[in-house]
Amino acid sequence: MNFEAIIGLEIHVEMKTKSKMFSAAPNSFSHDPNTEIALLDMAFPGTMPIVNKQAVINAIRVANALHMSIDHELNFDRKNYFYSDLPKGFQITQQFRPIGQNGYLDVLGRDGKLKRIEIERIHMEEDTCKQLHFMDYTLLDYNRAGVPLVEIVSRPDIRNGTEAMHYVEAIRNIVLYSGTSDGKMEEGSLRCDVNISLRPYGSQTFGTKVEIKNINSLKNIEQALDYEIARQSASLLSGIPIQQETRRFDEASGKTVIMRVKTDAVDYKYFPEPNIVPIPLSDEFVEDAIRTCPELYDAKKERYLAQGLPEAAASVILSDIAMARYFEEALPLAKNPKTLANFLIVEINGFLNKNGIGIAEFPLKASDLAEISNFQDDGFTHKQCTDIFNYCLEKGVAPKDAQQALRIEKVVIDESAVLEAVTAVLDANPQSIADFKAGKDRAKGFLVGQVMKASHGKLNPAAVSKVMDEELKKR
Amino acid sequence: MSYLDLTISEIHQALVEKKVTPLALVQEALERAKKNEDNAFECLVEEQALAEAKALGEPEADNPLWGIPFVLKDNFSTKGIETTASSDILNGYIPLYDATICAKLKQKKAILIGKTTLDELAMGGTGTTGHKGKTYNPWDPKHERLAGGSSCGSAACVSAGIVPFALGSDTGDSVRKPASYTGLVGLKPTWGRISRFGLFPFAPSLDHVAYFTRDVKDSALLLDVLAGRDERDATSSTKPVEVYEEGWDQLAKGGKIAVIDDIVETISDKKLRESFDRSLLELEKAGIEIGHVRFGEDLLQSIYATYIVISCAEATSNDANLDGIKFGPFYPGKTYQDVMFQARTNGFSELIKRRFVIGSFSLMSENQDILFRRAQKNRRKIVNRLNEILGEYDAIYAPSAPSVAPEFSAASDKLSDEYLIADNHLALGNFGGLPSITVPLMMEDGLPIGVNLTSAPFTERKLLALAAALEKATGLANLSINNKKEGKL
Repeated sequence: MNFEAIIGLEIHVEMKTKSKMFSAAPNSFSHDPNTEIALLDMAFPGTMPIVNKQAVINAIRVANALHMSIDHELNFDRKNYFYSDLPKGFQITQQFRPIGQNGYLDVLGRDGKLKRIEIERIHMEEDTCKQLHFMDYTLLDYNRAGVPLVEIVSRPDIRNGTEAMHYVEAIRNIVLYSGTSDGKMEEGSLRCDVNISLRPYGSQTFGTKVEIKNINSLKNIEQALDYEIARQSASLLSGIPIQQETRRFDEASGKTVIMRVKTDAVDYKYFPEPNIVPIPLSDEFVEDAIRTCPELYDAKKERYLAQGLPEAAASVILSDIAMARYFEEALPLAKNPKTLANFLIVEINGFLNKNGIGIAEFPLKASDLAEISNFQDDGFTHKQCTDIFNYCLEKGVAPKDAQQALRIEKVVIDESAVLEAVTAVLDANPQSIADFKAGKDRAKGFLVGQVMKASHGKLNPAAVSKVMDEELKKR
Repeated sequence: MSYLDLTISEIHQALVEKKVTPLALVQEALERAKKNEDNAFECLVEEQALAEAKALGEPEADNPLWGIPFVLKDNFSTKGIETTASSDILNGYIPLYDATICAKLKQKKAILIGKTTLDELAMGGTGTTGHKGKTYNPWDPKHERLAGGSSCGSAACVSAGIVPFALGSDTGDSVRKPASYTGLVGLKPTWGRISRFGLFPFAPSLDHVAYFTRDVKDSALLLDVLAGRDERDATSSTKPVEVYEEGWDQLAKGGKIAVIDDIVETISDKKLRESFDRSLLELEKAGIEIGHVRFGEDLLQSIYATYIVISCAEATSNDANLDGIKFGPFYPGKTYQDVMFQARTNGFSELIKRRFVIGSFSLMSENQDILFRRAQKNRRKIVNRLNEILGEYDAIYAPSAPSVAPEFSAASDKLSDEYLIADNHLALGNFGGLPSITVPLMMEDGLPIGVNLTSAPFTERKLLALAAALEKATGLANLSINNKKEGKL
């Protein structure tokens, strides 16, 4: 590459608090338009903002996870501009005293090494209302107006699409696991805007910035940036200067597409919000918020690995917070975490995918899964356990009942019993022995099968096979 | 004179003794309102008021506001009653909720009879800029004098004897100045003492709910009811509400008042100066110590500019919600800009637009340091000086205005050199959020002039005590056009 890409990310996260950032309207993302509005959200004259305490707690937790220094005084400011989706004509945000500053995240780079991305600030603000544009009119839905947001702004330390993707993924995991947000990029509860400019290596000045807005999946982040870097490089190499633009990513073509030319920066006339007096946050309040934060992704992963789970398994489980919850519910009841994890990753995921449901709709209780997993560790074969598993799902019964109904019994690995059974079959089938000696391997399979049949499948197939080998050699 | 011309506590007594009924009071208030020609009303709520009055049962002996008619400045949100802030941009706007103080007064069974005129969006001090035109000072039957502003209609109603109390708002002096011009007691308590939830904002860091009565005791009785923490107003104080009419004698004796000499000296009205000096002697006789301080001429001269910059800046932001989209008259257009532009061009008067320009200009990033932020820093200097003085004295004291209510021809929204200090010093009470009260001092050629006391935060009880002492000295309690007096000073 001829140029160095200077990339910064602005991420807006919708917080899933019970009510909005400054009003008591419910925050349940209702799909019925204009049903979740308080007077303040439509900016009726005389209404006043009240700060949502849980939102502050969430913001503190995220700031802490991002290793930021937390401001112990809560201050809000007005960002003034006119737009049809902004009912008050200003947004209440934190311009001068963001709740968190100067943090970082270590993310996996393209070379497989960890890279530190510095984070400039995290602040709270409120969302705007939704607009639906038609030919002759625009409809406004105020449900979203006032929804609590945290905005996380990185320093321009990111250099390629892979780093960007991992950065967003790490942030998503933090907001998800801290209970702050459901982080669904495709639904807009986590919105990612990218600023990217190119410059020759070694240059100290910055090139012209292009903004790419509303990239709606992790994969698209990487793709959009890879494309944009190539686009800008080609442009610069041909001597065509970069225009200051706002672009969007077109998934179908894999290209970034211009949305609008970026005009000069708007003057938002920031000043302190006079209706919210600065609120001191005691050390106790801040420490409490941090201390009571639900366990985060990294901590969980560490814990799973310490329990003996392979990295890949841990990653799969943690990729779905509901699955992680399910896993942890079963974990204390399970004898072997690895066995449990395998059932989750293979059998359960298979079932979920086949039936197109999520783990929330999965009919088997976590405690039941633990029981089945324990069967395996107690000596039942994996197949026996999956039979029980499937039966439970089919009939909706408990594992013990399934086991009885299927008349599944623990397979014996009593060497003498195996020897007895193998000897009996060999004695009764001299022709098969001869066939095997003559090179027909299928004869052995036949003989093993005979042993299984005679023992009604109660003998461990692996053990039978092993003893069969030994006895055949002797004959 | 009828019962309606008495003070709240006197009317209350009469109601308890069944000498008069709420219905009779309300009927008379409505009649006077309809006959009144001072252009004080945006609307009357006749049906509602009569219904409420009729629905009242036995008088509540311990509730002084029971059955008392009153009016609200039309910038208080009243559920189901059109509220326009005297601006065309809110024509037809019917709020879905009551301001907290409305709910409190309702709960106490006071009876609202109408909404009163104001300077448009509360931005003004003359009572002439509302969309219904000028409001006249009831003291001048020739209709040549203003009632002051922005709470012009409320001032006119109480001084015309239509109701014994009226709510207003005070951002720079908008209750305390008209109180002076109309011979009323105008109290602006500490910032945060009364909830502002439901008060259409002008400049939140300066706005106060304030009100008119005809004597100091009534003022205290109202404060008992209106004060208190409101969970819907984050800036409202959690300090406990006191019984504001108690212990005045002890509080007044040994009180120390500071005359601000460099305010008084700028006043050329000789009769006023003499009256003022006489008041000092009377206060001393009442056991109150009088001191003299100089505030600092530079600081005093900077009050007006500081006030204009801060208030216009906050106002331009607050009123950005008036965009013709959600409420108020709607003008269809091809783009959202069209819609907003038309609503705001048609809905606001030139004066409002002028103030918004000043406000926007002050907030521009390249101007903030020399305008908005500088004004805020200067405000801090002013408040520091106030705190210094109030550290040694219980209250500062000066005439509320340079003279009687001006004639319309003499008034203007613009900066004037002549009374730069004397016309604007009441804003000191807003800068510091300090409790501040105007009390009538004297009559000059049939027109009243008031004086102002301002004290430290949350010292309303002491302030009222000192004001009561002053009231005793002036002999002008319960002054109105139906109850004319000459006064003792």
